[in-house]
Amino acid sequence: MTSDLIFDVQNVTLRFGGVISLSDVSLNHKRGEILAVIGPNGAGKTSLFNSLTGVYQPQEGSITFFGSNAKPISIIGKKAHRVSAAGVARTFQASRMFSALTTFENVKIGAESHRGIGVLGAMVKGPATRRGEKMSDARTIELLDFVGLRDRANTISASLSYGDRRRLEIARGLATNPQVLLLDEPAAGTNPAEKIQLTQLIRKVRDEMGVSILLIEHDMKLVMALAERLYVLNFGSVIAEGTPDEIRANVAVVEAYLGSTTSDAEELK
Amino acid sequence: MIASFWRNPHARRLGVSIVAIAVLELMTGPPGNSEAPTAGIRESFLEASSCFGLFRTARWVVFFFVAILMFAIWTLLLWKGSRIRSGISSVLAAPRAASQRRPVRWGVGLALLVLAFMMPHIETDPFWQAAMVEQIAVYVLLAIGLNVVVGFAGLLDLGFVAFYAIGAYTTAWVTGALPTPPPFHIHFNPFFAIPMAIGIAMLAGIILGAPTLRLRGDYLAIVTLGFGEIITIFANNLYGITGGSQGSNPIPHPSLHLGPIHYVWGLKPVPYYYLTLTFVVIFLVAFSLLEHSRVGRAWTAIREDEVAAESVGINPLKYKVMAFAIGASTAGFAGVVTASQSNQIFPSSFTLQFSINILVLVIFGGMGSIAGVVIGALIIQTAYSFLLHSPPQGYQPADLYMYLGALLVIMMIFRPAGLVPSRRRKREIRLSESGEGHMDEVLTGDTP
Repeated sequence: MTSDLIFDVQNVTLRFGGVISLSDVSLNHKRGEILAVIGPNGAGKTSLFNSLTGVYQPQEGSITFFGSNAKPISIIGKKAHRVSAAGVARTFQASRMFSALTTFENVKIGAESHRGIGVLGAMVKGPATRRGEKMSDARTIELLDFVGLRDRANTISASLSYGDRRRLEIARGLATNPQVLLLDEPAAGTNPAEKIQLTQLIRKVRDEMGVSILLIEHDMKLVMALAERLYVLNFGSVIAEGTPDEIRANVAVVEAYLGSTTSDAEELK
Repeated sequence: MIASFWRNPHARRLGVSIVAIAVLELMTGPPGNSEAPTAGIRESFLEASSCFGLFRTARWVVFFFVAILMFAIWTLLLWKGSRIRSGISSVLAAPRAASQRRPVRWGVGLALLVLAFMMPHIETDPFWQAAMVEQIAVYVLLAIGLNVVVGFAGLLDLGFVAFYAIGAYTTAWVTGALPTPPPFHIHFNPFFAIPMAIGIAMLAGIILGAPTLRLRGDYLAIVTLGFGEIITIFANNLYGITGGSQGSNPIPHPSLHLGPIHYVWGLKPVPYYYLTLTFVVIFLVAFSLLEHSRVGRAWTAIREDEVAAESVGINPLKYKVMAFAIGASTAGFAGVVTASQSNQIFPSSFTLQFSINILVLVIFGGMGSIAGVVIGALIIQTAYSFLLHSPPQGYQPADLYMYLGALLVIMMIFRPAGLVPSRRRKREIRLSESGEGHMDEVLTGDTP
């Protein structure tokens, strides 16, 4: 029964001293679904992401991730690199690439991070190291093709455009062979044309790679076009859940948005 | 009046030139003493000196000429600077393009290696032969090791001397030169000390690293500083184990008995030079392969953005401890060479000063650039040996750190990535200056 889920979040509460960032949040993410989490600024969306990826450790509740073979894994208490190894990939709100490295190297770091370290092999460049290099090179090229950055492989990543940076982050995340990809405001700072490409790319990731998508986004048009189901967060709590049409009709959601920014609420309608 | 003078760019350049040269004049001038504290300042300007060997006059006249010369060169650079620079780069274009090609690189490397092996035959002065081991080869080795920690992994280690001391004292221990008996009461040949010292130094690196490398930046620097001090104090005060400030007993020279080969490293420095050089070459090759392997890329990723690195599955602690252990083992080997060559070791040679000296070599040469730190160590240590061997008139040993400090200040202004910068490091510095890149930014919050 649980095998059709990818994330099962139960009653998660996250506090920073006296400040409650997430309060009693429960949500589930079905395998293969494009799920979005929306909410006004400061609603706790990024805190939720950081809790799901092991960067923050919530004080209460449970987060279960169903990895490959639907094996349940508890996320809370795991370090970020272990969560990544389990099959959760993410991008960051302000893209965080390794900016002094090339596009190719950025993705390659993702592709090779889960193999054993083999420091002595690396010092003498032994056969296992050579084989590993070849494998990650091939995987990197495949992914750069997939996101359409092949021609930018040798560009220093800091000189990429915003849209290309997002695609690089997605490729780097996919390189770790994830079950689910968490996208933190992928459309921030991109132009309308890039937004359309990005929407297509996210769909392609799900359809062709079978990776489930969890998305935080401010751009309502993009969310409504892309997401199959939404959760609305406000002041650290889930206030609504449903399909895009249901959310549009939900009074509480509109009020939450009217309380913060009018333009967002209008976009919602 | 002064303000309007300062607004004139030519006058300002002239003023800066004169002030800079006046500081230089003070630095190179004679010292004062407690009887006449200002004598040093007065004599720095008034003492008679030879003016470029032409005639004798007061120092300030000579330095005034130098200041005018500096002003002239500066003005010329501003006026024709871009043309001069493009001229230089067009002249350098061909060699630079050639240096990118693999056979050329291998050829140059091989030629330098042959030169390094020929060095004791070219320079036969006993002072320089000893300096080649004690002052140059050992320091090159240490700089290569510290570069892994500071340059590759981006960890500021101010206690590098600790691992060097551990290497040296391990050598003394296993050869039976300490008051405490050697392991299993066997007096080992210093040759066996090499793997043991490397192993023990590496272990010390892991023991120190595993709990402390969770700390970031300044905190790590403070912890390593403390560790360096602890080791020195141990060496000084554990009379029954280390021999205290009296130092160790004489350490035997290494000898090789392999079938028909019998060779004893004696008092002469040259055999030690070859031994050290062999290891320098081994470490050079291993570390440059490491830099361009996954391990090197993971280090770069951690250095640039630890949170992002962790999110793609890199365990930062594991890689940092590894860098620490590799650096420590290099220092451990350097300790063996020093101990077996100098015959006796004293706690007073393992001070904070030493750690800082090695760090200066790495920063001067170019953090993260193997060629850079080798060249940096060669230049600084050769200059240092030269000052020991034949000090120029007016130079006092106490002045050394003043010059070294000035050199670092100038380097940081004009060439912050070092003499031969690593390409990645240079990019990082440029990016962080233009506000790109994230040095541990806040993770939280939505975009405003």
